[in-house]
Amino acid sequence: MKTRKKITNILAVVILSVFFIVCVYPVVWMVAGSFKNNSEFYTNIWGFTMHPQFQNYAVAWKQGALGEKFWNSILVTACSIAIMIPVNSCAAYVIGRMEFKGRMLIYSILLLGIMIPGGVLGIPTFQVLLGLGLNNSRVGLILVYVAGSIAMGVFIMRSFFISLPKGLEEAAMIDGCTRFQSFRKIILPLAKPGIATQVIFSGLSFWNEYYFANMLLSKPELRTLPVAAANFIGRHGVDYPVLFAALTIITVPVILLYIFAQRGFVEGLASGAMKG
Amino acid sequence: MKKSERIKDKAFPYLMCLPALILFIVFVLLPFFTGAYTSFHKWDGYGEMTWTGLENYRFVIEDDVFWLAMKNTAVYAVLVTIVKNVLALGLALLLVRKTPGTTLFRTGIYMPVMMSYVVIGILWVWIYNPTFGLLNKMLSALGLDSWIVGWLSDPKYALLSVVWVDIWKWTGYHMVLYAAGLQGIPKTLYEAAEMDGANIWRRFWAITVPQLNSTIVVNVLMSLTGAFVSNYDIVSIMTGGGPFHKTEVSLTYIMTTAFKYSNMGKASAMSMLLFVFVFVFGFLQLRAMTHEESYD
Repeated sequence: MKTRKKITNILAVVILSVFFIVCVYPVVWMVAGSFKNNSEFYTNIWGFTMHPQFQNYAVAWKQGALGEKFWNSILVTACSIAIMIPVNSCAAYVIGRMEFKGRMLIYSILLLGIMIPGGVLGIPTFQVLLGLGLNNSRVGLILVYVAGSIAMGVFIMRSFFISLPKGLEEAAMIDGCTRFQSFRKIILPLAKPGIATQVIFSGLSFWNEYYFANMLLSKPELRTLPVAAANFIGRHGVDYPVLFAALTIITVPVILLYIFAQRGFVEGLASGAMKG
Repeated sequence: MKKSERIKDKAFPYLMCLPALILFIVFVLLPFFTGAYTSFHKWDGYGEMTWTGLENYRFVIEDDVFWLAMKNTAVYAVLVTIVKNVLALGLALLLVRKTPGTTLFRTGIYMPVMMSYVVIGILWVWIYNPTFGLLNKMLSALGLDSWIVGWLSDPKYALLSVVWVDIWKWTGYHMVLYAAGLQGIPKTLYEAAEMDGANIWRRFWAITVPQLNSTIVVNVLMSLTGAFVSNYDIVSIMTGGGPFHKTEVSLTYIMTTAFKYSNMGKASAMSMLLFVFVFVFGFLQLRAMTHEESYD
């Protein structure tokens, strides 16, 4: 029995290792490729280079105007998160912890978002933004991102608020807080894990988003990193090591964040899907 | 004073919902109905719209490429869903054995989840490259030269090659969900079954699967809705729908129709039809996610 368990464990490690390599190697290979020179890129395909070409990064940064794109991505992601959190938390709080007429109706309307995927809304979103004069503006893209996060965000936050003991805010209100103050000072801090989940879950999708960013922002100076990367391959005569340097620049911030906050990312994303 | 406070109290929950409702109505519902409206018109994206009734829908239904794209989308979604979930559950079962290196394995297998489809797409196009690509180089190093094909240019393999990239990106995510579900199953169930002499296979079907039921349902539905409507990025980056529409999915064809052929009406009609197909899965996902919360 013991030896059988040992054998299955060894088998488990082997299978997991193979899959680990399949998942990680392309990323390592991307970074390795970004340091090669043009001829080595085609000859030394899977190894590392002995003569790292750091200037690939400088060229990529300049050619793709990645400084500007980086800033755009940070701005769009940060603003979307900053708007999304209060918007979703406020709605989820009253839906989860108060009785009022139309509560379930409002909740049902917001949850419709789970059934209307962003993919089918592409073109009409473009039309609506055009009508509002928000086409080719970061504000428009940010509001589209926030709106797209509402269904899932309210769902996640509500399940956190429900799980808190009843009567918490009543106690605070007896001490002289208003309802809103008790929400902000007592309830919201207790729902921090829910907020973290949302920040990771949506923040990551905002940072990586391509479909809307590509369609809604056509001015080069407004584009975000994923769009910039896609435009690299659109050019004539791609310099692959430089392209790989650009891809590495885009990916590294997320991977670094991920390595430092690994638990948060893995569990945050997981609990985003499985209620609270 | 008293009365105004009461009104304020009454208005409070509505005011709290207002920002979410406004944003949702303006940027989700309004586009949805705008799309429905546009689908009954002829419109090139710039000039006047003219009412054409069901004309667009007729064009769509008679369009072979549309049906090919729908078929590809369905094949894509079903394949991605099955392979991703089987693989993820299998890996999760191995992961919860807590062998040495569990955290490392989890971290690594999860890594592609972090990455943008654009980056992943460009990387894999290069991995699949017939002459300089990693995959064919690897195959020839292993002496499997007969397996070498043009992964993205051969109509027989193109769709499968794209599907694999989607599986590769998301398996880690589903693995973590399954691992969390597996850890929630009481150990005593397995011990009891082992005492009764149930073998590993039997324990899997009699305990793991039923206990994991809701996790499986959410994972499968999430994969389906995801694969149906978020494959635009990966397909447009990797193949643009080619060769010969072999990897054309609904969203790439919709975008081509809208922005290349400037036929917004027809593109909107296709979006509506796609929505109808996806709606069913979305509705089921919502049900699966909410049906257990009866405690409020």
